[in-house]
Amino acid sequence: MHSSRTEFATAWPCAGQFSFVRRCTLLIVLLGPSLAAADEAFVVSQNAGRLSIVDVATMKIAAEIAIDGKPAGIALSPDGRRAYVTAPEGRAVVVIDAEKRAIEKTIDVGKGPLGITVNPIDGRIFVADWYEHKLYAIDPVRLEIMASVETGLSPSGVAVTGDGRLIVTADRDSNQVSLIDAKLFNVIATVATGERPFGVTIDAAGERAYTANVASDDVTIIDLNARKALATIKVGHRPYAVALSRQRAFVTDQHGETVSVFDTNSFDPVGKIAVGGFPEGIAADEAGRFIYVSCWDADRLERIDVETMKVNGTVDVPAGPRSFGAFLRKTSGLPPRGEP
Amino acid sequence: MVKRLIALALLVAFAPSAANAHGPSRQKVVSKIEINAPVDKVWEVIGNFQDMSWHPAFAKTEGEGGNEDGAKRTLTTKDGGKIFEKIIKRDNEARALSYEITEVDVKVVPVTNYASTISVVGTAEKSIVEWRSAFYRGFVNNDPPPELSDEAAVKAITGVYESGLGALKAKLEGGK
Repeated sequence: MHSSRTEFATAWPCAGQFSFVRRCTLLIVLLGPSLAAADEAFVVSQNAGRLSIVDVATMKIAAEIAIDGKPAGIALSPDGRRAYVTAPEGRAVVVIDAEKRAIEKTIDVGKGPLGITVNPIDGRIFVADWYEHKLYAIDPVRLEIMASVETGLSPSGVAVTGDGRLIVTADRDSNQVSLIDAKLFNVIATVATGERPFGVTIDAAGERAYTANVASDDVTIIDLNARKALATIKVGHRPYAVALSRQRAFVTDQHGETVSVFDTNSFDPVGKIAVGGFPEGIAADEAGRFIYVSCWDADRLERIDVETMKVNGTVDVPAGPRSFGAFLRKTSGLPPRGEP
Repeated sequence: MVKRLIALALLVAFAPSAANAHGPSRQKVVSKIEINAPVDKVWEVIGNFQDMSWHPAFAKTEGEGGNEDGAKRTLTTKDGGKIFEKIIKRDNEARALSYEITEVDVKVVPVTNYASTISVVGTAEKSIVEWRSAFYRGFVNNDPPPELSDEAAVKAITGVYESGLGALKAKLEGGK
């Protein structure tokens, strides 16, 4: 119960200073348009060693947690109650209680844990190890490593399909993605990409993966069923990661200070959105209204309105925000504690 | 020590991705200096990608493409080290020049993936130059030797910026 909207809803029957009509109007305004929107952004600042929890309705920092070991990657549990943060130099995954805003446990993982994602069905945590060229699976109940599988060289980004069956790693120094069977935890195929794929994002249908290729300044679109590349789309300089919203792909161009946008049906460019310096981690809310961008050099989280294609909100965050992963957390509509 | 040097030499010689690979944590340096000179005059000097003679560390600037996006230059240090650079974007209105190192031996500058912007704001009397950059340390794996650590990278770049900006100020204020 951390969102101001929820608190207002809980408190409003006793809010006697407003007229009934006024109260209803307020409720509609506050609750109506944002029910399905993301409620919090978990911004990971690598240089400052901090996790900032931003209330995206107000674009203000609601809480901050210190994290050692140069934190970079982030994922949320399917129920939104936990955040998992990779600390590459700490060689650990830090488990955060998202409601208590506190570190629950630190798990030693590999030699350079960076990319991280969570299986949306069973909650297993997958961590790509940049130096060991491996993907680790972590049991979400015991919070211990349960398996590992070799990938290509320096896996960075990692993503899972919505049905929880297929994992994709972007193997940066092998110029490929590995497709991994989530159940058997073995590599079933590799697909060549552009040069140095870093972030990887899978669409809601689980049909396509998009890699941001740092060295060739493009995005590879991969057909996951056919296990082959569908198209290569030119974007800005040094692309880092991709977010998908309303049949469009939004790509952070680190050295371009832009987010490049293209149409995922026609593959035509839509335009470039000016953002702060070194845009990196990028995430789209489920409602298709906003895109959030971590700007590493500007030390800001910026919010792009998908309708107007412009930045319409920013918040200063601690130094060096990377937020590499799906960093948005829904606080509305969570099941009561104890349900799966 | 010998072992370490061999290991380093092997790393530089054989890692196919030495120019692109990097450690996990990007570093940042921002240096500023106030100069008593017109902003246009300062921009004329720092905005010329093909002439780095204002910086005492460099003996020679050679290049092609002028000040266009994508233009290249090779800087030769006074010790004979070479740094290869390329313009990412030059914004004449904002008076900002962004460029990156495309190739450098970590023995010359202990950094990888270096990108920088030098810019100036000010008036007809007074200017403030800002030189900022983002880069990774020279050693791309865990547990770097001290000369290729994050600290060594930050120290080296800070040194280049401070000596350069000091010389720039002296040149522009002295030449009134």
